[in-house]
Amino acid sequence: MSELVTANDGSSLMPGAKSLENREYNLFIGPNHPGVEGNFALKLTLEGDTIVKAKTEAGFLHRGFEKLMEERLFIQNIAIVCRICVPDPDPNEENYARAIEALADIEVPRRAQFIRVLVLELSRLASHLFTFGGHAGTIGLYTMPNWSISDRDRILDLFEELTGGRVYHIYNMPGGVRRDFPAGFASRVRDVLDYIEGRLPDYDNLFFNNRILRKRAVGIGVLPRERAMEWGTTGPNLRAAGFAHDVRKDDSYEVYNELEFDIPTLKDSDAYSRLMIRRKEVVQTIGIIRQVLDKIPEGPVWNKQPNPLKWRVPAGDVYVRSESSKGEYAYYMVSDGGVRPYRVHVRGASVTHGVHILENLLVGTRIEDASQLMFSLDACPPEVDR
Amino acid sequence: MIADNYLAHTADPRVRKPEAATGSPRIEEEIIKAIQDATGNESFSLKAPRRIEGPVDSDRLHTLASLIWSRVGFQHLSAISCVDWLAEDEFELVYHFWSYRDFCLVSAKTRIPRETASMPTVSDLWQPALFFERDIHEMFGVVFEGNPDLEKYILSDWDGPPPMRKDFITREFAHDHFHFRDYEPDWDELVKGGYHSNRGEGGTDV
Repeated sequence: MSELVTANDGSSLMPGAKSLENREYNLFIGPNHPGVEGNFALKLTLEGDTIVKAKTEAGFLHRGFEKLMEERLFIQNIAIVCRICVPDPDPNEENYARAIEALADIEVPRRAQFIRVLVLELSRLASHLFTFGGHAGTIGLYTMPNWSISDRDRILDLFEELTGGRVYHIYNMPGGVRRDFPAGFASRVRDVLDYIEGRLPDYDNLFFNNRILRKRAVGIGVLPRERAMEWGTTGPNLRAAGFAHDVRKDDSYEVYNELEFDIPTLKDSDAYSRLMIRRKEVVQTIGIIRQVLDKIPEGPVWNKQPNPLKWRVPAGDVYVRSESSKGEYAYYMVSDGGVRPYRVHVRGASVTHGVHILENLLVGTRIEDASQLMFSLDACPPEVDR
Repeated sequence: MIADNYLAHTADPRVRKPEAATGSPRIEEEIIKAIQDATGNESFSLKAPRRIEGPVDSDRLHTLASLIWSRVGFQHLSAISCVDWLAEDEFELVYHFWSYRDFCLVSAKTRIPRETASMPTVSDLWQPALFFERDIHEMFGVVFEGNPDLEKYILSDWDGPPPMRKDFITREFAHDHFHFRDYEPDWDELVKGGYHSNRGEGGTDV
């Protein structure tokens, strides 16, 4: 009997397991885990429940897109870039098209610029709804994912009608967009916006004012403003820290400078305020899309380009930025005058949020908050992997 | 309470902000002038609205970057891009700095030989550079002196050459390392007597 007890307490397998020096242990979360956004792993070192060290591990979704793009024609890459970020693919298409337009000096018709803004904002809306569901799931509130993801489906229906694709749209072409609105599309967009706006009070009752959410998220993962700026935070996460920076305003592109919207900010910069800033952005985005529908002019949607299989983009380099639902999204494109890009560097927003900031922010929090923190930063692993 | 706990764990005396990062916005010409005054570098010029760029010698880049941070006030390092210019036998590193004060991007371009491929880190000035440099080290093999963590990240089980280099040909690598299946076999011969007839002993798995 006594032999059995000795065998089970583990001391023969792990000598010194009970000593004070060995209080720390390692725990892996991911790469396949419902509490991690995408294929991503967190290697945590814990002492009791408290995280003392965190390392991230990526590469589970590495597709080598940057290398692949150097082997493909400019037109072929349009179908590649959107796959870099799954929940919010359109900033990729936007950046890629805009980089070619800047290098080749192509003008985009005004109607196409408005349509691009509409697509970008619908994509932001869909992405935020996705994040609400994900965040709720990490703290055990499973009604919210069902609601927000089924509501997101209405936006995907709009995308399917406009572009033919639900998740990936392959819609922006250098020189404009692929096709104009189908008949009656604008009114269906308005219907979906009215529906989502009408759902927000329900979301508030179910989720944002939920006592469990407040208990779990307020005060977790505080990222003070100066620290946030030093660590390279961008987008909603920086605005939740009280710094009003938005690429749409400060480095305006397409027709954002003709639309009226504010940059909402909060100052607590904890997991709860990073969630609430996205709740505020949903309202702001609905307003932007309504303005687009009001102001959109008639006209062509594509400035017709010659045979796309023979495009040669003039030699040069350009750095284009846009505001994705996760933060600053930038492309650095170099062309040597050939039919393929010489180099495309993708700077995803999650490259900073998902690695450096997450690793540092996790330290000192408790194990049950690790997933929540990752979702509150809205780190998107496909952007890190590329 | 929890916030205090967090701060105790990550107390870092390096949180600092350059004085020049605040103030009234400057136009592009004023920024070019400010860079000239601070660094003595006269090669920066306007490329497009809100875009300034200029070449820098690689041994001067860190000094220039620290002056751009402190005296000109560019607080945000947006990205570091690496381009492999195989014909010239050089890597080009492009540092993209963004100013929250002026809403303007400055790109500093520097070239280093492919053979030595070494560069001092700027992670002492901008912390996001820690990962940007690690990524470039992994994909291009450039060594950033002073960066504490250049471990493999995305390609953790890769032992080949840095794959983003232009002399790494993906197609050749695939041909050398992977077996290609015959996608146009003689189906009539293979499935003679029924599809599963050849799955037994001595048969070929289609």
